[in-house]
Amino acid sequence: MRGRPQLSRTVGLPIATAVMLCVLWQIIVTANGIPEYILPAPFDVGRTLLASLPNLLAHASISGTEAVAAFLLATLLGFVAAAVLTYSPLLRDIFYPAIVGFQLIPKVALAPLFIVWLGTESASRITFATFLSFFPVLISTLTGLQNADPTAVRLCRSLTASDWQTLVSVRIPFSLPYFLSATKVAATLAVTGIVVAEFITANAGLGFLILSSGPRMETLTIFAAIFMLCIVGLSLYGTVALLERAGRRWFTGA
Amino acid sequence: MTSGVPSDPDAAFVRVNDVAKIYDTGKMTIEAIAKADFEVAKGQFVAVLGPSGCGKSTLLMMCAGLESITTGTIMIAGQPMRGPRTSVGVMFQDSMLLPWKNVLENVLFPIRILRRPRSEYIDRAHALIELVGLTGFEDKRPHELSGGMRQRVAICRALIYDPDILLMDEPFSALDAITRDEMNDALLDIWQRYTKTALFVTHSIREAVLLADRVLVMTNRPSTIIEDVTIPFVRPRTNEISETPEFMQICSYLRSLIEQGHGRGRQNPGTRATVRKSRVVQGTGR
Amino acid sequence: MVTKGSSLQVFSRPLGARRVVAPVIFALAFFIVWEVWLRFLPMSRAVIAPPSAIYTTIVNAFPILMKHTLSTLVEIMIGFMSASAVGIALGAAITLSTSIRQAFYPNIVGFQLIPKVAVAPLFVVWLGVGSPSRLAFSVFMAFFPIAVATATGLANTKGDAVRLCRSLTATNWQTFTSVRLPFAIPFVFAGLKVGLTMAMIGIIVGEFITGQEGLGYVIMFASSAGESAPLYAALLILATMGLGLYSCLLLVEVAVQRWYGAPFSSEGFA
Repeated sequence: MRGRPQLSRTVGLPIATAVMLCVLWQIIVTANGIPEYILPAPFDVGRTLLASLPNLLAHASISGTEAVAAFLLATLLGFVAAAVLTYSPLLRDIFYPAIVGFQLIPKVALAPLFIVWLGTESASRITFATFLSFFPVLISTLTGLQNADPTAVRLCRSLTASDWQTLVSVRIPFSLPYFLSATKVAATLAVTGIVVAEFITANAGLGFLILSSGPRMETLTIFAAIFMLCIVGLSLYGTVALLERAGRRWFTGA
Repeated sequence: MTSGVPSDPDAAFVRVNDVAKIYDTGKMTIEAIAKADFEVAKGQFVAVLGPSGCGKSTLLMMCAGLESITTGTIMIAGQPMRGPRTSVGVMFQDSMLLPWKNVLENVLFPIRILRRPRSEYIDRAHALIELVGLTGFEDKRPHELSGGMRQRVAICRALIYDPDILLMDEPFSALDAITRDEMNDALLDIWQRYTKTALFVTHSIREAVLLADRVLVMTNRPSTIIEDVTIPFVRPRTNEISETPEFMQICSYLRSLIEQGHGRGRQNPGTRATVRKSRVVQGTGR
Repeated sequence: MVTKGSSLQVFSRPLGARRVVAPVIFALAFFIVWEVWLRFLPMSRAVIAPPSAIYTTIVNAFPILMKHTLSTLVEIMIGFMSASAVGIALGAAITLSTSIRQAFYPNIVGFQLIPKVAVAPLFVVWLGVGSPSRLAFSVFMAFFPIAVATATGLANTKGDAVRLCRSLTATNWQTFTSVRLPFAIPFVFAGLKVGLTMAMIGIIVGEFITGQEGLGYVIMFASSAGESAPLYAALLILATMGLGLYSCLLLVEVAVQRWYGAPFSSEGFA
């Protein structure tokens, strides 16, 4: 049984590796004189980032708010739908095959469909991103609700608790770890959904910026926008991850 | 009857000298073993008995060369154990059979690793499989076998490459009581055939008394060996001896030792009251 | 996030007639209502088309649809196979030493969290609007989960198995091939399942933005041309393709499980 590895190794080493790779990137670009429109140097990307910060932030706020809206809707609807399906076995029987089927098909392909139905405004993008992130939340939460500790469920039944009471007092608390871990997936998918929707139809937002810079060979802008998008995505994911940890601590009492 | 300690120091096959084990997890240090000091003569079957978590498995792993020793030395066949050796065989609590190999292949697994010619060992493999009563099961997969059968295969695997000493880490703890009794009988049988030096870790008093020549009783953490009890029953043994009053006597004596060890472990070993090094239990024997 | 856990159930009661009949009846009812509704309350063809129209489209435009279907299918398969090879190799390479693993594993997992789809236009800048850019992007999307899963599986070999090898003085390579690699197989399959989905997403998004060929192109073309029937037809074919490919992967998994000799119920990613 080895001791726990020091913090400096587990955190420092990967960060050092990432930094080293960036340095390598810079060296390769400057040494080989690679043109900017193919692969810009990290330095130049950083410069552009700072120079166009207001513009980038404007686009980022559009994409960001849409992603957050989609995420919140997806988690809320996913949780409610899971609770409904747990409460009604009939609905569960009817819908579960469709839900599983939906998980197995590439749902991104449906993006243009949402545009066709709901137009080219942010409402359709948010709806699509919600649709994308809703399924993992639904399936995970449903699994959690259905697999609540059988002994606890039996206890409720022996106290002649109603299905609703069992749901609220036992199943929902037990399902929280499943729900919370799925929200992390939902966070990533929400951002993905917004970006894909912006590819297809948008006139603002980071996805739009990336796509429109392509034909103009403004690779520098693409990199800067991707970096910005990473920050948006990681912020959302990070917030959700912290909430998940807090939730888990509450659940296990640790 | 003589004490368990070999009179001639050179005859000691295993010599554990003043061994201590301290874990440093960065957050805290755990003194698992305070002091372990004993010897095992060649051909002896010694059981290490103690409650869960007392460090007996750690002691075994140190003897196997799979765990580092903090202080002290462990010598097997005159050489200090600094790493694993092919002359030292190990059996774990989990039979750890490879699920994608059948029984025969699992038994021959050490031969593959040691890169020895397979043809020389096939007969031995079949003989071992027959000895444990699994003839006809050679091409079965582990998931088709029961827990007891899997441990039998593990025994064959441990013996195929003929190690000089076999270290067994609670190999039957995961089995139900009935299977466990069967496995004890099987092990007694095997020991008649392949008398080897053995160090057997267990938390079952009955098992220890049934199988071993000597029982070393360990306390809780930080653990020490408080007694080295000689088991007087003559070999070949059968499980009938477990019904005899001598057997019950030894068991209850060991039980009282363990209960003592529960509180004892928390004290500083230096301030402990008198400890009798090796107490002889008189029995009529069979 | 990868779990090789026990199988959890969503249905507590055993399979009854209702579990099979109810969804079938619902699906039939759904299609019937869809068809009949549009007959009585016709809506713009640009938005929705009745199932009958979709069927006619498939029948009439079959050759063209098949040409695009084949293009998408072939690209997905090439992308997925390449990603699997690269992902497994990379995942194995990372676990060569503890230091390498500590250095690279968090970075790769971190890459998983960023919205990788955003990088698609970059591949178009680099490789043009043809197959190469779509394939490269698909591999890029798919190889991460496979690499992470492989690395996780290899790093989490059961302690006793490794100890067994060590007690036999096995070399690192022997331990790797006899024990680490086989025990990692369930994890690898969990990663492959996610990788397949990612490969499909990569090709489809690639077809969206390159707009040359494939079912993604058909979808975009149909939606901008205001004809939704081909759009639904293409979606239907894509869904079938998705299910079909996933089933193939499951069949491979079942075959490997049989060789492996132990059931592995890999739930995959949450």
